[in-house]
Amino acid sequence: MRIFLIFNIFSFLFFKNVLPLDFKDLVTKKGVNFWFVEDNSIPIISVSFSFKGGAYLDPIGKEGVSNLMTSLFDEGVEGMTGSEFQQSIKESGMKLYFSTGKEKIDGTFQIVSSNKDIGFELFHKALNLATFPTEEIEKVKNQVKASIKIDESDIPTLASKKFNESFFGDHKFSNNEKGSMESLKKIKRKDIISYKKKNLLRSNLIIGVSGNIREDEIKYFIDHVFGDLPDDEINFDVPKFNDLPRGEKIWEVETPQTAVIFGHRGLKRKDKNFFAARIINYVLGGGGFQSRLYKKIRKKEGLVYSIYSYLSSYHSDGLILGGFQTQNQYVYKTINLVKEEWDQIGELGLQKTEFEEAKTYFKGSFARNFTSTLSIANLLRIVQYYDLGKNYFNMRNKIIDQVEFGYANKLSKKLFNSDNLFFLIVGKPE
Amino acid sequence: MKFLLVILLLFATNKSLQSQDIFDAQSFNLKNGLKVVVVENHRAPVVAHMIWYNFGSGVEEKGKSGLAHFMEHLMFKGTKKFKSDYFSNYISKIGGSENAFTSYDYTAYYQVVPSDKIEKIIEMEADRMTNLTLIKSNVGTERKVILEERFQRIESDPSSLLNESMRSVLFPNHYYGRPIIGWKHEIENLLDSDVRAFYKKYYKPNNATVILSGDITLKKAKKLTKRYYGKIKKSKIHLDKKVSDPELRTSVFVELKNPNVKQPIWKKIYRVKSYNQSIKDGIALDIGLKILAGGSTSLLYENLVKKEKVFSMMGAYFQGFSKGDGYVYFYAIPNKKLEIKKIDELIYKNIKSSVENDLSMKRFEIEKKKYLFDSIYRMDGILKPAEIIGEAISAEISLEEIENWNENLVELTLNDVQKALKDFMENKNYVLGGLDH
Repeated sequence: MRIFLIFNIFSFLFFKNVLPLDFKDLVTKKGVNFWFVEDNSIPIISVSFSFKGGAYLDPIGKEGVSNLMTSLFDEGVEGMTGSEFQQSIKESGMKLYFSTGKEKIDGTFQIVSSNKDIGFELFHKALNLATFPTEEIEKVKNQVKASIKIDESDIPTLASKKFNESFFGDHKFSNNEKGSMESLKKIKRKDIISYKKKNLLRSNLIIGVSGNIREDEIKYFIDHVFGDLPDDEINFDVPKFNDLPRGEKIWEVETPQTAVIFGHRGLKRKDKNFFAARIINYVLGGGGFQSRLYKKIRKKEGLVYSIYSYLSSYHSDGLILGGFQTQNQYVYKTINLVKEEWDQIGELGLQKTEFEEAKTYFKGSFARNFTSTLSIANLLRIVQYYDLGKNYFNMRNKIIDQVEFGYANKLSKKLFNSDNLFFLIVGKPE
Repeated sequence: MKFLLVILLLFATNKSLQSQDIFDAQSFNLKNGLKVVVVENHRAPVVAHMIWYNFGSGVEEKGKSGLAHFMEHLMFKGTKKFKSDYFSNYISKIGGSENAFTSYDYTAYYQVVPSDKIEKIIEMEADRMTNLTLIKSNVGTERKVILEERFQRIESDPSSLLNESMRSVLFPNHYYGRPIIGWKHEIENLLDSDVRAFYKKYYKPNNATVILSGDITLKKAKKLTKRYYGKIKKSKIHLDKKVSDPELRTSVFVELKNPNVKQPIWKKIYRVKSYNQSIKDGIALDIGLKILAGGSTSLLYENLVKKEKVFSMMGAYFQGFSKGDGYVYFYAIPNKKLEIKKIDELIYKNIKSSVENDLSMKRFEIEKKKYLFDSIYRMDGILKPAEIIGEAISAEISLEEIENWNENLVELTLNDVQKALKDFMENKNYVLGGLDH
């Protein structure tokens, strides 16, 4: 097809020239700020956005209200019932998803560019004119309750829930984002409206956009959707984690295989050592089939199908977490091997080749984020959310290069210590 | 910008979208029978390389269930030239990602890598098609890993155990009734020699399709695949083991009771014709089921979740990409305690009255539109197009049929959909399942 050919060549030149990522930092008439990459290689527009706060801002006793709210945005808007609204969404080819996290709400919106007018109009209605009908609230509550019950019989999900409850103690991060049976009962319509009014604010908002639309048009649409949200300031600081527990805790369940989640303190995302820690963790338990945990515990010993560790980093604090599942009789053998690997890296650090190869991994893997409009929009959002700076895309390789071998190994000693690990065990370890 | 206008016009009406190739893929065959498909997309300097072997657990002998999946695991154990985990290590240090998966009708391997490294990837994937070194101790350790995988995916998950059991009833004769991962007692007894024989027999270029999607040209794809895959000899065996299932004459209800289950779930799986038998009929059924039970705007959802509030959630979908029969999966989560058989009666009654009274032109048109939009979203990315093409080709659907898929919508009428659903209602080849505590 000739049109596509011309078109491909064009996008080829366009992108080859602008990598790593040439985005625009834009402000709308009403003062909404967002980052934007025009990408005409496909007739889709993708918007990725976050509201800071998330489940952390759920009032005590009303846990789950933020999650309930986002599930209700398409369950009725001014002038339309939930059914009518959802039919319109379907008919327009629009996609709108939300997910509530511990300290933010993430959302993605996508529309086929030929339907952008109707798509952004529906998006506007969902975010500004949702009516939260009582009947729909009950329906969605029942759905959340069912999903909480389903989670109870899924041992890795249950392990993660139990881990949070024990590990975070008094900190609000110990709560399930979905809430609990008891808290859901207490949530009223006014609680949902109040959460929205207080916390879905322009000052709280981060947006990344990529796709088939012109700058002036997208500015207009972003204004239409987000421009009328309240501009109030909100101040909240998620406290650091205090007195994280160590050792282990067992939640007994009759099952042939046990699920284990473990972790100790790590680094916040903005920590200057974050990338160095990321490199160390990649070697210990990061992705692919190359980590030490994978090689030792799966490949050599055959004790697990999957084993991993990762940095779980937030604005004010962070963790290093990991997990695996193994048959009941191998639980303690596997835990001991995890501890050995943990201390090996803590005491002796990385080998030079491992270190260099982890660095080249992080440099090479970044371009994989540029393969779809949605992944580009997500990337633009994340860089703003963690406040990594406008020049992050140009600086990223330099940040990686600057991590020195000796320095990383010193950091390794400070960060990784199996004495500090807490293991939450769900199953029937022997 | 001129080109932008052209593109917008192209997508402006459904008509033009329907008559346009979805992926704009190109393909060629090597002399040894290897099929190659190229989807150019130069948005980012990244390319996805997939190889789809057109066999999966379906070619296993009776008593050797899990062998195809076992083999997939062992494909990561190194060759004479690229020893041990050289391949995986290479992918990792260039920033790539990789994985593999096995199904009834296919076994696939893929890597997503910076495009300037594609030659080496093709070299290594071609190399492991014939030069794998299978060390005995590797087989023993990997068997343990696979048993852990079975425990993780199935044995410790009540819902998966139920599905496994339901499938064995629904497909009493066909290999679709056997778990892909294998039965536990058969995995335990798979031998080193079984693996060797399996590898030698099936891993051949004429049993495979390579798909390159992303920043690569057709010319380069031709040159590189010929250079590395082209060297490998084809095999003489043909893979057309056709088995089918008898009509089910009994009604079977499979129940799993486990105290860990806190939320009862009703399930029903139907055996139906796949796209392989008729693309048009498959699409009619797919669209019909979407109107009936595809998400929160569907007829059954509106009636039973919103209006009557019997269920907190319910839905259904059609899986039609298979060499043999496809299936339709229904589920419902009751709000209150309800007998499984009662749920079944209620849903059947609702399907019947919906099909007879509520299939409107409006709903039909909306689903058609949605269908076309979904095909646009599938083009956004590089792995997705390769996955869709690979799965369809494995179900013996041609590239041309895939590219022209949406043309089937032009002629599709509400009558076709109605007929597909009526046939579906008459279908007695189903199994009922209940998950409870």
